[in-house]
Amino acid sequence: MPLVGNIRDFGLSDFLYLVDRGYKTGCLHLSRADEMASLYFDKGKLITAIRKDDVAIVTDLLVRKGKLTPIQAAQATQAQRNDSGASVSQILVNLNLIGRDELQRVLQQHIEESVYLLFGWSEGEFRFEQGQRPELTAPILLTPVPVEHLIMEGVRRIDEWGRIKDRIPSTDMVVKFIEQPTERAKGINLAAEEWRVFARINGKDTLAEIAHKTNMSDFDVCRIVYGFLTAGLVDVLRKPAPVPMLATGRPLAEAPRIKKSLVTRIINRIRGM
Amino acid sequence: MQTVKMVISGAVNAGKTEFIKTISEIEVVSTERRATDDTKLIKKETTVAMDFGRIAVGDDLVLHLFGTPGQKRFDFMWEILSEGMLGLVILVDSTRPETFRETNRIIDFFMSYRETPYVVAANKQDRPNAWSPDELRLALRLPTHIKVLPCTANDRESVKLVLLELLDVIMQRSED
Repeated sequence: MPLVGNIRDFGLSDFLYLVDRGYKTGCLHLSRADEMASLYFDKGKLITAIRKDDVAIVTDLLVRKGKLTPIQAAQATQAQRNDSGASVSQILVNLNLIGRDELQRVLQQHIEESVYLLFGWSEGEFRFEQGQRPELTAPILLTPVPVEHLIMEGVRRIDEWGRIKDRIPSTDMVVKFIEQPTERAKGINLAAEEWRVFARINGKDTLAEIAHKTNMSDFDVCRIVYGFLTAGLVDVLRKPAPVPMLATGRPLAEAPRIKKSLVTRIINRIRGM
Repeated sequence: MQTVKMVISGAVNAGKTEFIKTISEIEVVSTERRATDDTKLIKKETTVAMDFGRIAVGDDLVLHLFGTPGQKRFDFMWEILSEGMLGLVILVDSTRPETFRETNRIIDFFMSYRETPYVVAANKQDRPNAWSPDELRLALRLPTHIKVLPCTANDRESVKLVLLELLDVIMQRSED
């Protein structure tokens, strides 16, 4: 069954994280008013994005960008019809009509810009269809793009507190790296100000303290950390309270130490119900 | 008579009342009132105080099950209920991604006090549009050591399985 919802409640960056970590293959359909977009993924990586009213055929796109002549486009289309298993993107390279690197660069730029525009949507229905593949004539990337990179760039374009506060409700929260961020961080390029924040993350300092030490605004630090967080590089935690207290002023009791024999009795009771 | 307590929490309409009703030996003491805020858009009657269920384990031991109020304005009840609890079940309505953020807020609340043994129950798995436990784990960004279990709160075997999995987590932390 498809996963459905609204990006107002479960943001695009959250969904991209889910696609990445779940190694999902399929299509994320997004719609609001009369706008529509479809993002296709293969094993958690983006392979193409198509917006309504935009060019959906790779040869049309390349002709429009001056990378192919109409004759070359027709040649590739015909060749693809004779080789129904390959994408037109692959055929273009096989026929030497365009270099692999050049094709990747042009398509990646076009597709990424389509995705970044979607980060501006504050609401819109989504539906993820597992296993759905794009048409072979679509502008399919020869090398799929990791989504962490898209998340970081998309989040750079967020300029509203509301969305950030969903994940970072307070500047008193502590930032720490997740256990093994190094591998994931390889695909991400950080801007200078992002490096300044990245270098200050030590698992002890709060966001407010990082803002103070880097001489940046709370908003900028939170926005940057929101990007790291959404890309799965860091975690934010409440600063542990020294002595947990109830609202009544009494100290909160520790979780009771319970004997195994007692747990076994409860287990047996529930099993027998 | 020794009593031990488990807490069942989750966002509004996650299925807490149903979960306790399904397993409790007694008629669930539920203080249901007509909803007065935006929860009435979700269900006509919602939990405004708490649900209370009971399972007798023997003549000398009783397990109490407490459901937390789902609405934010009853947050103050959570810390009272959490005092001395043995473990926690976080119920999630797997069909409503709009409740995932609230679920995270509830988990953060309980975990900010202490390391309570807990499991997440992905409720309403019998519905066609339910997110799977694996998808919920990613959506809620739960670490791999936290159990995310399929659940149908009105099915006794399913509720038993969730409680047994929680007890397994508790067992690992218990003493000889």
